[in-house]
Amino acid sequence: MIKLVNVVKTYDGDVKALQETTLEFQEGEFVVLKGVSGSGKSTILSLIAGLLKPTSGEVIVDGKQISKLPDHFCSEFRRDTIGFIFQRYNLIPTLSVRENILLPLLPKNLAKEEMQEKFQRAVQLFHIQHKEESLVKNLSGGEQQRVAIARANVNDPKIILADEPTANLDAKLSLDFIEIMRGLKVSNRTIILATHDPLFFDLDFVDRVIEVKEGQCY
Amino acid sequence: MLLTPEILTLDILNGLFLLFGSVAFYFSVRILLYYDASATTPLQYRLEKQSYLVSTIIKFIFALKIPLFIFFIFTLDKISTMLPGAMCAAGVVNATVYGTPLLMLKILNLYLFAYWIVLNNEDMKFEDRRYLHLKFLVFVIAYLLLLVEILLQLALFFSIDISSVVDCCGAVFSTTNGTYMAELLGAKPLYILSLFYGVFTFIIIAYFIKNRYLFSLLNLLYLIIALVSLIAFFGTYIYELPTHHCPFCLLQKDYHYIGYFLYIFLFIGTFYGIVLGVISFNKREYLQKFHISMIFDTLYLLGVSYYPLAYYLKNGVWL
Repeated sequence: MIKLVNVVKTYDGDVKALQETTLEFQEGEFVVLKGVSGSGKSTILSLIAGLLKPTSGEVIVDGKQISKLPDHFCSEFRRDTIGFIFQRYNLIPTLSVRENILLPLLPKNLAKEEMQEKFQRAVQLFHIQHKEESLVKNLSGGEQQRVAIARANVNDPKIILADEPTANLDAKLSLDFIEIMRGLKVSNRTIILATHDPLFFDLDFVDRVIEVKEGQCY
Repeated sequence: MLLTPEILTLDILNGLFLLFGSVAFYFSVRILLYYDASATTPLQYRLEKQSYLVSTIIKFIFALKIPLFIFFIFTLDKISTMLPGAMCAAGVVNATVYGTPLLMLKILNLYLFAYWIVLNNEDMKFEDRRYLHLKFLVFVIAYLLLLVEILLQLALFFSIDISSVVDCCGAVFSTTNGTYMAELLGAKPLYILSLFYGVFTFIIIAYFIKNRYLFSLLNLLYLIIALVSLIAFFGTYIYELPTHHCPFCLLQKDYHYIGYFLYIFLFIGTFYGIVLGVISFNKREYLQKFHISMIFDTLYLLGVSYYPLAYYLKNGVWL
């Protein structure tokens, strides 16, 4: 389903973030990319999401060469296929929970009822319905994380990418997050999670752990 | 060299266009030579990124150049007051040998720039960037023409001598000076009007049968005939003077700047009509361009037809 073929990513011409890498992820697979900061995990996620173009090589998702797509087609692809959970959540603090979660649906011009239905499903699934009118800046870290997950899922994406999702959470909230991921795995999403948190390395529902070290995958 | 704030503005903008245009030209040539959509090499990815940068530069140059044409005409009209003998932009255009080719080139470039903008919009709509090569090829040609245009414009303003007497539009567009222009302007109004309204009737037919190639060709013809008929016939009713055949005086305040409206209607109408024959659009846009062209062609026709009719209704006679 997701293929990286001989992908190299270099920043500013000389910082080699990813050495020539070939990787494949199957549909419904839960893969953990483990490695220290700067090892190249986030680069892999950004390449799959089409947020970055490789320096050379191909990134193919669902038979489509994402790395060759013009930017605005890449945005459409991302909107329809990928849910991205960022380390710092990347929510808009001055908007409410509802507005943040509905954001990915706005460009699709859906009917009001359909948007409401998707919104309700997302907030109920991630237990955030009691906060739907609160401003995001007034929420705790754990609540913000749930909003970020709800936003990433509101479009029912086939693929979920999570970049250090528990870096800003305490142990209890991290365990809560793991349970949410378990639920998503059951719904047959392809999930790729980049982390250096050992909590994820021995989980029963994780299909594969790939170690990323100095831009190479092991 | 004649230097007024307007000419300085035109020269400074031309300098900027030249600078950014040259950067875009360099990258466009590289894209034309090395772009290979199927390649996944570092060079190809670099070229893909550069193609966005270059397209943005060109888009802004061309988007500015189009309204700047109106400013150029306005400038010619304004400086005509400094030249002894000149009564409008026609006097400035004919003051040196560079004026007429410059004006022709500017009109040609205007259509070419607008074509590039439409081509770029279409190119961005397809994942396979199907118009990419054509788009950059058109830019390379347009850039070379732009260079000639900039040189001609410099030459025009450099060589204008404000102490020499120049011909006024009455002499330039005279029907009695024995030139081809004089013969054309002296043609019987019946022939000119038959051609003008005849071509417009065929445009209506092509519009209803939605034949884009016919519509495109007829619009090209309409552009030429509309200009000839404006100078030879309709203009005389705008000025209410049977011997006054100037295409520039109607841009002046005395005639309520009607020329700007007429030329803009004609440009938009014929451009969208002509472009239908050279680019394949999706059905919605294809119909949209048919409508825009038809509306503006009609506005132009109504605009010019108003003057003789109003004159006749007011005076009970034709000129």
